[in-house]
Amino acid sequence: MTTRLATAFLGLCALGFIAPAFAQSAENSPDSPAARESRWQELEKAIFHGRTATPSSGVVTLEAPNRAEDAALVPMTVTLKSADKVKALWLIIDDNPMPVAAHIVFGPAADPREMKFRVRVNDFTNVHAVAQLQNGALVSDAAFVKASGGCSAPMGQSEADALEGIGEIRLKLAGPAQPGVPVEAKLMLRHPNFNGMQMNQLTRLYTPARYIDKVTVRDGDTIVFDMNSGISLAANPVLSFGLVPRSLGRLTVEVSDSSNTHWRKDFDILRMTD
Amino acid sequence: MGAKIMDAKIFVVAAAAFLLGVAHAFAGAPEPSGLWTGPMHGETPATLAGATVIDVAEAAGLKAEGALLIDVAEAPPKPPGASSDMPWLPVHMSIPGAVWLAGGGFGAGSPAFQRRFAARLADLTGGDKKKPVVAFCHPRCWGSWNAAKRLVLLGYGKVYWFPGGVEAWEDKYAAAPVKPDKAWAQGDR
Repeated sequence: MTTRLATAFLGLCALGFIAPAFAQSAENSPDSPAARESRWQELEKAIFHGRTATPSSGVVTLEAPNRAEDAALVPMTVTLKSADKVKALWLIIDDNPMPVAAHIVFGPAADPREMKFRVRVNDFTNVHAVAQLQNGALVSDAAFVKASGGCSAPMGQSEADALEGIGEIRLKLAGPAQPGVPVEAKLMLRHPNFNGMQMNQLTRLYTPARYIDKVTVRDGDTIVFDMNSGISLAANPVLSFGLVPRSLGRLTVEVSDSSNTHWRKDFDILRMTD
Repeated sequence: MGAKIMDAKIFVVAAAAFLLGVAHAFAGAPEPSGLWTGPMHGETPATLAGATVIDVAEAAGLKAEGALLIDVAEAPPKPPGASSDMPWLPVHMSIPGAVWLAGGGFGAGSPAFQRRFAARLADLTGGDKKKPVVAFCHPRCWGSWNAAKRLVLLGYGKVYWFPGGVEAWEDKYAAAPVKPDKAWAQGDR
């Protein structure tokens, strides 16, 4: 087992997906503000089709650890000040191969004050939270995160184990839900979110990518949010969001993944006890 | 908590494995007679007939003297089914100034692949078979061994194989993001 793990690990190094794990020190870092800015401009072009995001002046605030303990599971919190003015939100890990971790469009039943994510970080990188206001303007906040290897981190369990219970949807409320009163909810999804860069430690082959690409949460017919996501979300994603329950308080969560599998679960949130 | 313990275990094993790997590297796999067509990642030979095996200091020297540096690391695979909302924009770190011929060290290449490789190298060297060329990718990567071997077979006289690759470079010097070589579209294998 040790040898196999060893081989797998060296194989990963060989592929270079976790390139600077051993090497990089702050002194010889290739990162320069200019290089980071040029990367961001490239991303703005690809994601916003040339429109630029202005510094947020406090409308959107991104909180991320300066140095991540576990690159495959980096917690990030986005706070939105003028909740009613925010239409959509992007969380972007600049240097990840698929930089957009999540693109969320809020619906009428949302209370978009705060969103929490868990993401993978492949390399030292800037992270951007970009909010789109009702008038269409884009505002952003950025943070620099030191982490590496989040994308190729081996799972520490077999593929079969990682797939067990796939699609399980759990929801937790921060307090009792009442119609019309904003409440925080935590959505927990069971899904390995294979990103295509994780090597199976036994076969030394890459586990093909399979990841959650869409999550919709609605209360009855009213949308809370629609989320498009990519391989930058951590395995077994956990997402905290705010909502304003409707009078019936029937929350539906729909999840689909890149292999076109769909899951759905309903929650009677007015009657949920923890 | 469980995950943390697992991480710690993996780290210890990885560290041990790294040392083990270093010890192994001195032995090296035997040189195949031609190009290597087995798995692209694994133990590589310590030698390459017709080429010079170099370390990072020698690579830096050759770079300073204007040698052509070719990086044949493979591009990470694009996950299927990604929507246009989720652009795929991998960053590739390499030796500054290197030309990235992604997947250029494929061993069992079709005749079209072989011609493409030969033609691109002829362009990059300006047809000068005496121009020093350094081939690299990552440690334990047969791609750079193959690329260097192919250069020897094509008649290049000053071929250098840098098995330490990007990681050995980054250990000592700054790497830089490098775009895929435009004239080398990864396609024909």
